[in-house]
Amino acid sequence: MKLDRPELAQRLAAEYVAGTLRGPARRRFDAMLPSQPVLRQAVQEWQDRLLPLTAALGEVAPPARVWRRIEARLTETGRTTVAPAIAGDSGGWWRNLAFWRGLAGASSLATLVLALLLANPTPQAPVVVVLASTAADGSAAAPAGFVASFSADGRAVATRPLVPVNLAAGRALELWAVPAAGAPRSLGLISADGATVVKRRRLLDDTAALAVSLEPAGGSPSGAPTGPILYVGKLTL
Amino acid sequence: MPTPLAEWTERSRDLSQLLARAGLGDRAAFARLYERTCAHLFAVVLRINRDRAEAEDVLQEVYVNVWRAARGFDAAQSQPLTWLTHIARNRAIDSLRRRQAEPPRHVAGAADDDEDQDVYDKLPSDTPGPLALLDRVADARSLAACMALLSGPQRQSVALAFFDGLSHGEVAGQMGHPLGTVKSWIRRALQALKGCLDLAAQRDRAVEAGRPGGGTDR
Repeated sequence: MKLDRPELAQRLAAEYVAGTLRGPARRRFDAMLPSQPVLRQAVQEWQDRLLPLTAALGEVAPPARVWRRIEARLTETGRTTVAPAIAGDSGGWWRNLAFWRGLAGASSLATLVLALLLANPTPQAPVVVVLASTAADGSAAAPAGFVASFSADGRAVATRPLVPVNLAAGRALELWAVPAAGAPRSLGLISADGATVVKRRRLLDDTAALAVSLEPAGGSPSGAPTGPILYVGKLTL
Repeated sequence: MPTPLAEWTERSRDLSQLLARAGLGDRAAFARLYERTCAHLFAVVLRINRDRAEAEDVLQEVYVNVWRAARGFDAAQSQPLTWLTHIARNRAIDSLRRRQAEPPRHVAGAADDDEDQDVYDKLPSDTPGPLALLDRVADARSLAACMALLSGPQRQSVALAFFDGLSHGEVAGQMGHPLGTVKSWIRRALQALKGCLDLAAQRDRAVEAGRPGGGTDR
């Protein structure tokens, strides 16, 4: 299918969203979407046009058993996390991109979470958290990941991208401290191509993970992450 | 009175945060997201797949899918309610695949027409027809103007396809017209809808921008 013709992209996107694109054609279209920005844009526009019309359908409350089944499924599927504690020297091996790429490649997990405890077996060992890309194929807008290293007193964290992240104009990266329960706390905007040091007195308090989200320039307007979560890394202290 | 599009945007705003938190693994936020959206999504699914047990299964799949995909949701790119509705429609249409695999109905004669009727026999009598739904979209002024350019069958064909999830072939069977005719009706109707809805959205944005404090959110 040649989709560089805008009118064809428009027509297929309309039929896809309206629901008349069916069977193998629909599945092919679904498979093509991630790699075709023009098509994605057309689909997005058609969704914005047509889907609000479904409000006319009114509401039908599903029986309570549906939620119970969903809840059971969440427990069983949970997001896959890998959190090996690797002791190593304090050298720069963890900055080695090939290592992480290889690791990410070896794992088809959508989320690869690694927490590393570096060599010092003292109670206040500096902690390095790798925030891995949440993109399943690693080829998406946000490749590689971030490294966040905490100071020994746990009151400062320095972030650095493994490779510079290309941001579209008007977008920024925001760092979040994610508690085990409750709302994430913003740790501010971080640099997409260099180191950022964030100092907070209560940096580690009940922080279970760090996450980086894509936000409008200036950061999330709401105080909660609004963009996709691009990177995430779990803390294992 | 807000247009349906404006109302949709309004509802979506609160949902963004719940979705973002669900993306970070917050179960409580996800539970609230479910509470606030399940009745809409169930209506969407049930309209397309009228088998209640199957519709419940579809709804379950939808939310498990949402939980897994929430992290990738981008509030700057799409509205939560739109995103959720799309996932629900996709799954619901997918659940009809078996029906899709049956021979197309429009090629056969009267027996098939009876079969098509069955689809509608399953509808509770108080369920509005697809055309009634189109009328219900309260932003009717601009919609009505564009739709007036279309014939009744053209309007009906797009409403059947969109709301009820009927394929081209099924719409053709349902309406007793050739497949090619129905395809071009739907194409024209979608084009007309595009014109009206884009105009309505522009108006909403203008209203939004004119409101004090409005227009800063997006």
